[in-house]
Amino acid sequence: MAKTYDVLIIGSGAAGGMAAWVLARAGASCLMLDAGPLIDYDKQRVMKPVYDLPYRGFGKPGRFPHVTQASEFDANLWADEKQNPYSYDKSDPFYWVRIRAVGGKTLRWGRASWRLSDHVFKAKDHDGFGDNWPIGYRDLAPFYDRVEPMIHVMGRNEGLPQMPDGNIQIDESPDSESVKRFIAACRKRDIPTTKSRRATGTLASSTNLLLPAALESGNLTLTPNAVVREITIDPATGLANGAVFVDRRSKNEYEVKARVVVLGASTLESCRILLNSKSTRFAQGLGNSSGTLGQYLFDQFYVKNVVTAVVPEARGGKGGRGLMGGGGYVPRFRNLQRNDRKFLRGYAWDFGGGFTPSPRYLPLYGEELLKEMNELQGTGFSLTTMGEALPRKENFVRIQPDVKDEWGIPSLHITQKYGDNEYAMAKDSMETASELCTDAGFQVIAAHSQMVPPGESIHELGTVRMGADPKSSVLNGWNQSHDVRNLFVVDGSSFVCGGVQNPTLTILALSMRASEYILDQRRKGAL
Amino acid sequence: MKRRRLLQSIAALPALPAAAQTAPAPAPEFPKLAETAADAVGQPRGRLFGRDQMAALEKLADLLMPKAGDRPGAVEAGAPAFLDFLIGESNAARRKLYQDGLDRLNSESARLYSKPFRDASATEAKAILAPLAAKWTYAPPADPFARFLKEVKDDLMQATINSRVYAAAVSRRSRSAAGMGAYWLPLD
Repeated sequence: MAKTYDVLIIGSGAAGGMAAWVLARAGASCLMLDAGPLIDYDKQRVMKPVYDLPYRGFGKPGRFPHVTQASEFDANLWADEKQNPYSYDKSDPFYWVRIRAVGGKTLRWGRASWRLSDHVFKAKDHDGFGDNWPIGYRDLAPFYDRVEPMIHVMGRNEGLPQMPDGNIQIDESPDSESVKRFIAACRKRDIPTTKSRRATGTLASSTNLLLPAALESGNLTLTPNAVVREITIDPATGLANGAVFVDRRSKNEYEVKARVVVLGASTLESCRILLNSKSTRFAQGLGNSSGTLGQYLFDQFYVKNVVTAVVPEARGGKGGRGLMGGGGYVPRFRNLQRNDRKFLRGYAWDFGGGFTPSPRYLPLYGEELLKEMNELQGTGFSLTTMGEALPRKENFVRIQPDVKDEWGIPSLHITQKYGDNEYAMAKDSMETASELCTDAGFQVIAAHSQMVPPGESIHELGTVRMGADPKSSVLNGWNQSHDVRNLFVVDGSSFVCGGVQNPTLTILALSMRASEYILDQRRKGAL
Repeated sequence: MKRRRLLQSIAALPALPAAAQTAPAPAPEFPKLAETAADAVGQPRGRLFGRDQMAALEKLADLLMPKAGDRPGAVEAGAPAFLDFLIGESNAARRKLYQDGLDRLNSESARLYSKPFRDASATEAKAILAPLAAKWTYAPPADPFARFLKEVKDDLMQATINSRVYAAAVSRRSRSAAGMGAYWLPLD
């Protein structure tokens, strides 16, 4: 008879990896299932020149219509959309960007690591929209304190209430003159700036920072290539008792048993597993007595290169390290004290300089273009907007039973569109960024407010949201199902709203907190 | 025989006589042979574009991305033939955009100068390529010909910069390997 594990962990990225790190090291016997293979970096990667790739770096046409991040070099790392289909209404595309491998998206994340503040956790208190989280900054701060050193976050503490200080290595690097000029322009308008705050190291993934210690404990069993079809329920107790998975390669089906189930398969995959886990007791999906499972999908909208400018003094190769290079971050500055804009919430910018602007911005060709490109080498300065998308009930996912993935598991139909609030914010970000660049003495060569399609930021959140009220949420403040007390969902699907901050640090902190709660409840005999 | 015992037995063999020692060393069992890619030895065969379209594309390549000093241009980089392959692999909308765009180059040249685009001078071509002088907008131009010109400008530049001859020229100049990257093999 197969073993019954203390905890089944589904997913091995930030959420699942942290759960394993906490639970296995504390002595719980854990089984981790991941839908993808375990990657051997030495065997899977070879150095190649771009001209030796079949498509000269363009990539196979049509292979990744929704993964703009994929290059021909790393195309084999991203989830194949034919094996893993999903759909959306034609007029509202959703770009679902996935990696199916042990480590998940921590293999390729951007590493920006900002704390959420009570401007996010208690957003409804600030502007009346949506719902508050059932927890506040004070609840999560001790976990942020512990997670940041684990992933070696470096940045600068500025004492800003909307962007709490962290337990981080302080970045003392000097700013270039162009960055100083931009910061000065921001300061004149009381717009805060800071250094980027990022996890450091050659690799900052659950595969090198979390899973090795969990495996070393002897309490973690890691099973790759296990595509979970559903979480199973004991009909007598109504508690989760394991899962059914399909082996990715053989397509053979297996059952596993556990006393507690921790779901951390990524926002939309976790939601999909719950929606596909139907039973007599939970006909609309596991833990869905509220009917909100799948609803309140949101992300952070991006306006990539909202403004691209040239630093005139750097033309003709006069830039150099003193004038050009480096960058930083502008934390959210709109609507903090009062709502004085035509939109709710706010946006942040990443900014940086020292690159050569794309030739597509220049209305030239031929020798004139080459000459101008030569002049512009290293003169570029640009900003990218990251804005808060409001969580709305009408943005949701549902199962489409007839469209199945390669393993016979029903796929998702995704509905998310941006509304007037996001459009107004994007426009404001373009206008303000242009003004700041002009104030700094830069020459704006391109500005736009076109948001990338929902999903492309890879910050999709919600659909299995927390809440104080079981009638309007799926999870309580411990990432625990209101309906099934031994079921926990610890990834981005649990977010109530997301602010402008990249979500991975918060996912890690939430997973750590929920996992320690599981240990505590098991000690008390409640799980 | 177990691998370890096999190795031990090999190690225990007496030294070979002098004559045998001078014989060529046996080739390794799993040798790494030198290879040369297809585009370094062969000329791609036409795939999508007709003769007139290809002639227009070659002319366009020379105008948009010319040779500059020791840096090869789009023609030297074989960019037109590569785009013939790439666009041939692309979806119907992109194939049509390109084919219509190349036809338009020829028809405009015939209308204005009574000759195919390939025979137009740089000054004559400038009038036809006027959409490239338009200010950048995020949204692609509504006019398909203008959209084609914007796309082909980007594509020719990338196809050139990512070519073998361009990398060789850059490497000669900077003594660094140009265009190298970590390639992910297919996951099992």
